[in-house]
Amino acid sequence: MSFIQAILDGLLVGGVYAVISIGLTLVYGVMGIVNFAQAEFLMIGMFVSWFAWAYLGLDPVLAAPLSFAVAFALGWVVQGQLISRVLKALSVAQIFLTVGLMIVLENGALLAFGSQFRSVTTPYQTMSLSLGSLFISVPYLIAFAMSLACGVALWWFMRTSWFGRAMRATAQNPMAAQLMGIDTALMYKLAFALGVGLTAFGGAVVLPYVTVFPQVGGQFVVLMFTVVVLGGLGSVAGAVVGGLAVGVIQALSALFFPIQLQNLVLFLVFIVVLAVRPQGLVGAS
Amino acid sequence: MKRWIAIVVIVLVAMAVPQVLNPSGYWMRVFTLTLLFAAMAQAWNLIGGLANQLSLGHAAFFGIGAYTSTILLLKFGISPWIGMFAAGALGGLAALVIAVPTMRLQGHYFALATLAFGEVARVIANVWTSLTGGPGGLSVPFVPPSFAAYSFKQLLPHAYIALVALIIVTVIFEVIRRGAMGYRLRAIRENAAAAEVIGIDTTKVKLQTAVISGVLTAMLGTLFAQVAVFFDPDTAFSAASISIRVALIAIIGGVGTAVGPILGAFFIVPIEELMNDLFSSGAAGLSQLIFGVILIVVILWRPRGLVTIFEALRARLQGRGAQS
Repeated sequence: MSFIQAILDGLLVGGVYAVISIGLTLVYGVMGIVNFAQAEFLMIGMFVSWFAWAYLGLDPVLAAPLSFAVAFALGWVVQGQLISRVLKALSVAQIFLTVGLMIVLENGALLAFGSQFRSVTTPYQTMSLSLGSLFISVPYLIAFAMSLACGVALWWFMRTSWFGRAMRATAQNPMAAQLMGIDTALMYKLAFALGVGLTAFGGAVVLPYVTVFPQVGGQFVVLMFTVVVLGGLGSVAGAVVGGLAVGVIQALSALFFPIQLQNLVLFLVFIVVLAVRPQGLVGAS
Repeated sequence: MKRWIAIVVIVLVAMAVPQVLNPSGYWMRVFTLTLLFAAMAQAWNLIGGLANQLSLGHAAFFGIGAYTSTILLLKFGISPWIGMFAAGALGGLAALVIAVPTMRLQGHYFALATLAFGEVARVIANVWTSLTGGPGGLSVPFVPPSFAAYSFKQLLPHAYIALVALIIVTVIFEVIRRGAMGYRLRAIRENAAAAEVIGIDTTKVKLQTAVISGVLTAMLGTLFAQVAVFFDPDTAFSAASISIRVALIAIIGGVGTAVGPILGAFFIVPIEELMNDLFSSGAAGLSQLIFGVILIVVILWRPRGLVTIFEALRARLQGRGAQS
């Protein structure tokens, strides 16, 4: 039974991983840039939500749109001022610009907020629903539901809106898109802002069960990369599958291995997938 | 000829510097660390610069080097001079283990895979408590000072050892770069498929480079352990302060050139040490924040590294010389 329980928990947590990682894969899919600073936007989302909870009395999950908006605005500026300059540069410059951004954001947060751990208290924090002999943790369920709603909204946006189609066109062929009258620079800004906004949104919804501190991004960075590599870098559908898979892998390894080795299993899965199928499990070869 | 004079002058200056510094003072420490990081960035430069495989996992080799010699000294009383070669052997082996599954990967994928490998090494060092002492870390035991025991009263000898190490690694880099292997690596970097067609065993060449880089980095890890005296898994296997920093030094200086890592180290390490010193009590994170800003500025302003400033200067001087 604990086996099924672990899979259930893993799927719920994995849904959030999916949304966090869709942001990363979206940026790569549209611009071909791996954003090593992506996890820092998760941290920013968590902080925005925490402050909204502490000072405005807002539930952290309801503050998620606010987290999204703050990260979106920040991402817009970062793309316009920094990333846009290395779009055609060597991959060395691309990788290390985002690494620099990661260092700046993490230490900026350390400077602004201090190194203490912050958490929220919510009335539903310890609640769970019973389903036969299974338990569904309410904070996990809420986070999952919010992620699902966010994912559906993104899907709808990308499929039906003009902006969504223009962005996909830019991803496929920037030159052709530009010739069709699409402002590709604007699309890149939109993609980056949307990507980091989604990750920040995920940061807010996990706040009821994850503690926030400036280095929290480090705990998620390999996890996010594992999700997108499992699904195939650049594939949004793949990120959903990858997110659920990583959630389940984590929950199951917690069942069989001591807590210190939990991440090790994830790293090994990551390396094996990279070595065997770098195009991802669902991606076409 | 001119070039050789410049090199001799720089080496002589580097040899003279420790003489004017306080033998165990703060600046001696900064100088030693700068030389060590320059040497590590040079070792990284082999795989990162010549083969264009951007490793973010060099902390794995570094940590293996620091731990191997220190554990041999602690458990068997073996001198770190000998331990250093054991460290190199293990570092090379680790490089082989990492390189075999990841060598086909390029660009971002290779960076990600090596980052994960570095983290695997860190987790293992934290968990394998019976061997490494776990999160509590290891102290290099005190032994009566002598050259054979690699133990000194002052920092001064460490500075000279670091200088020799930097020279050796730089010579190895230059020999490889100018030799047949350098040409093969360049061919692979420009066009891997074409290199394969003209008969270069691309996998073999990349593996060789990775192993040499791993051996050198592990041996430098031993030197670092002797200077640091204490370390734990999170510092010796740190992604941020070892893997990323070493790569950054080479990139900020100028990747793929022999001068780049040295220039980068002398630019970054002193600034970082100074800022840590100035701000550590005041505001946590400020020095790292400034470091990150410098990094972003250099990458946007000089994507090929600070070394291009000198190239531009020389070009301008020569241009002027031609006019007059």
